[in-house]
Amino acid sequence: MKIEWTKAAVGRRGFLKGATALGAAAALPIGFGGRAVAAEGGTLRVRSYGDMQSIDPAFSKGVIDEEIHASIYNKLIQYKPGREWDWQLDAASMIEQVDPTHIKFALRDDIGFTGGHGAMTAEDVKFSFERIVAEATESPNKPDMGPLSHVEVTGEREGTIVLNEPFAPLWTIALPYITGNIVSKNAWEAAGGKATTDPLAESGPYLRASWSPKEKTVLTRNPDWKGEAPAWDTIEILPIDDENTAEIAFEAGELDFTRVSLGSVARYRDGVPNGGTLLEYPSLYYAWLGMNLDHPKLQNQKLRQAIQHAIDVPMIMEAAYFGAAEPSTGIIAPGLAGNRSKSLIPPQANFEKAAELLAESGETNVTLKLDTLNKTTFTTAAQVIQATLAQIGITLEVNVLESGAFWASADNEDLQLVLNRYSMTPDPYYATAWFTSEQVGHWNWERFSNEEFDKIHNSAYQETDPEKRAVMYQRAQDLMEESGAYRFLTHEASPMVHSAGVVPALRPDGLALLRYFGKA
Amino acid sequence: MLLYAIRRFGLALLILLVAVTAMFLMIRAVPGDPVQIMLGPRATPELQAQLTAELALDQPIWKQLAIFYGNLLQGDLGIDVFSGRSVTDIVFRQLPHTLYLIFASIIWSATLGIALGAYAAAHPNTFIDRAAAALSVSFVAAPAFVVALLSLLIFAVHLQWFPAIGAGDGFWDRLNHLVLPAFAIGLSWVGYIARLVRASMLEVLGESHIRTARAFGLSEGRIVMIYALRIAILPVVTVIGVGMGFLLSSAVFAEIVFARPGLGKLVIDSITTRNYPIVMGSVLISTALFVVSTALADLINAWLDPRARSAK
Repeated sequence: MKIEWTKAAVGRRGFLKGATALGAAAALPIGFGGRAVAAEGGTLRVRSYGDMQSIDPAFSKGVIDEEIHASIYNKLIQYKPGREWDWQLDAASMIEQVDPTHIKFALRDDIGFTGGHGAMTAEDVKFSFERIVAEATESPNKPDMGPLSHVEVTGEREGTIVLNEPFAPLWTIALPYITGNIVSKNAWEAAGGKATTDPLAESGPYLRASWSPKEKTVLTRNPDWKGEAPAWDTIEILPIDDENTAEIAFEAGELDFTRVSLGSVARYRDGVPNGGTLLEYPSLYYAWLGMNLDHPKLQNQKLRQAIQHAIDVPMIMEAAYFGAAEPSTGIIAPGLAGNRSKSLIPPQANFEKAAELLAESGETNVTLKLDTLNKTTFTTAAQVIQATLAQIGITLEVNVLESGAFWASADNEDLQLVLNRYSMTPDPYYATAWFTSEQVGHWNWERFSNEEFDKIHNSAYQETDPEKRAVMYQRAQDLMEESGAYRFLTHEASPMVHSAGVVPALRPDGLALLRYFGKA
Repeated sequence: MLLYAIRRFGLALLILLVAVTAMFLMIRAVPGDPVQIMLGPRATPELQAQLTAELALDQPIWKQLAIFYGNLLQGDLGIDVFSGRSVTDIVFRQLPHTLYLIFASIIWSATLGIALGAYAAAHPNTFIDRAAAALSVSFVAAPAFVVALLSLLIFAVHLQWFPAIGAGDGFWDRLNHLVLPAFAIGLSWVGYIARLVRASMLEVLGESHIRTARAFGLSEGRIVMIYALRIAILPVVTVIGVGMGFLLSSAVFAEIVFARPGLGKLVIDSITTRNYPIVMGSVLISTALFVVSTALADLINAWLDPRARSAK
């Protein structure tokens, strides 16, 4: 077939003429409509640091998914907004621990599922909880449910949660967090037992109206919700990973609520634009400097102790955290059982003692490598550590890694020092879990292995006396510090801003409980 | 022309094959166990083994590549590890946002650049020409990320003329959301195109057919707009084709700074999480976009200027 280009409907001259005309037309001024303003017309616009991954609680990836799940599903109990860790009833009208392994509950009679899946019953609770621990489900969130045996259904809306052994985190993680979301047995079974990104049946005060990947998730009021009416007609959750962009959007009036960067806290303390308010909450995250106990260069405990004493934590707080975070005493944040009032080694550096310990170690010309994430906070902290260790004659090489490579460091046998940060749920059980002997080569990068520590971890979660439990976790952190493998840095901070028209409802660590957000 | 087109698209296909294969190998050379990164700390060894098998990561690299191309030939880009959604669906939902951004940038920068260059060429060595030159060089020199941040602060935060983030809903709202990102990534192209058109115009204005037109008494405006500009903008067509690649890479940061959905943001997120199917799907589509746009630019150029066809 021969194509005669010059006989095409548009000739070369025509094309050039057209292109010139198009250019001229495009140059004409275009009038744009008015801007969308946040909090307008009952719409709350909040920022999330990432996009939703799964609508199924069994496969929730954490905070991002949970912000949505907590609004469209119900749990027996929910976290209570405030500065102290506490819970309040949600789908349960009554819940009671009758003995260390049995928890009785009764459901409200006014909660139903969308899509014609009927009222919420104890069978739904049984299905939701048991599927999390079932091998077949392969839920990554299974550890949150701990030693759940089963749920006994004793009536249409009554039942008993039965545990294989006592499990204190049931009240702090299992029931009020990800695994506590109750889904519809009917809907899930009809869908083959698994949901991906489209809700099968919802029951919360909000319904997920739409999801535009990487753009926004829209929640709207559930018209059939019989509980306390939610304040907002619509909630738009916008995935914005860059905090600076979120701050600009907030200042432009396009967001009502967002976490802000630590570097902006000082500026917002002087005043938040548009009549907004800055909220400063502590965080549960914990950051520390770890030392690989298996590395030949770090076998000498005196050397490790010298490093511990030479690191000036307040200086790191000023330089890397802009003075917006406080030094930590361990891996368990204030407000949680097991938080220590002070660490064994004071946060301030003691260079004299560090030099003494280094001399006692007999090590000379010490050169070490510090691995860290390619985030400004960590690289700055690494530079401060590099400078302070230099004061006692230790040369530090900082090795900056992108997140994928950094988080694959578990099997890096050459790992020496590492600046690390783990996330946390509101129970000490979650913190110690990563430092047991079992975790060596996985998440215990320091290769810290201590029999007493392991014993504490494996027994403290069963301890139902909060005071005894706290003492156990405090001892666990003492053991970590005494090993010389850890210099605890901070729990960071959760600074947030909200617009004048919003009354935020937050967990004590600043996590947004969107269903309880109010209007000013 | 047909032979030229076949040859040009053959070359495009080869480039696409090489680029996608290179990306396939490079992403696998990045340190870090992808399965561990994808599934997180709490995945059981069984689950990790299952995903490793699903992604064929336990196979030799050549076999993985063969499986990838085998699936591709069947139109199957795979399934997203996290959401279980089709990669094709995910990529094609993000693609329009990137395309809108690129086309908006091209349209405004080409329009202004051509006008600026043509005006400067028509008034050589005058104050306006020098001012246009200074402006053009300033535009070229201005880093796009600085322009993005400044335009956000001025036009979104201070003046509140345009939205700061997102892609908007509905035609006018989407257009409104395109203004600042398109301005940010298109600004340097204004300067570049203006300089290109000016140089090309000056050359054309010195040619004999223009002298003939002047001898016939045609107005200077008509000569510039009708006879000179049509020829002078030919190089711009080629530049725009190649520019697609640069604009694609600029779109990555624009999508992050302006919190817009799009291919660039999708690729960055996927590389960080080692979401191989999405990385490969996105790279394939964006590379295809670049290769096709350069090939089309060459074809248009060859169509408009028969000399290009014979310059083999």
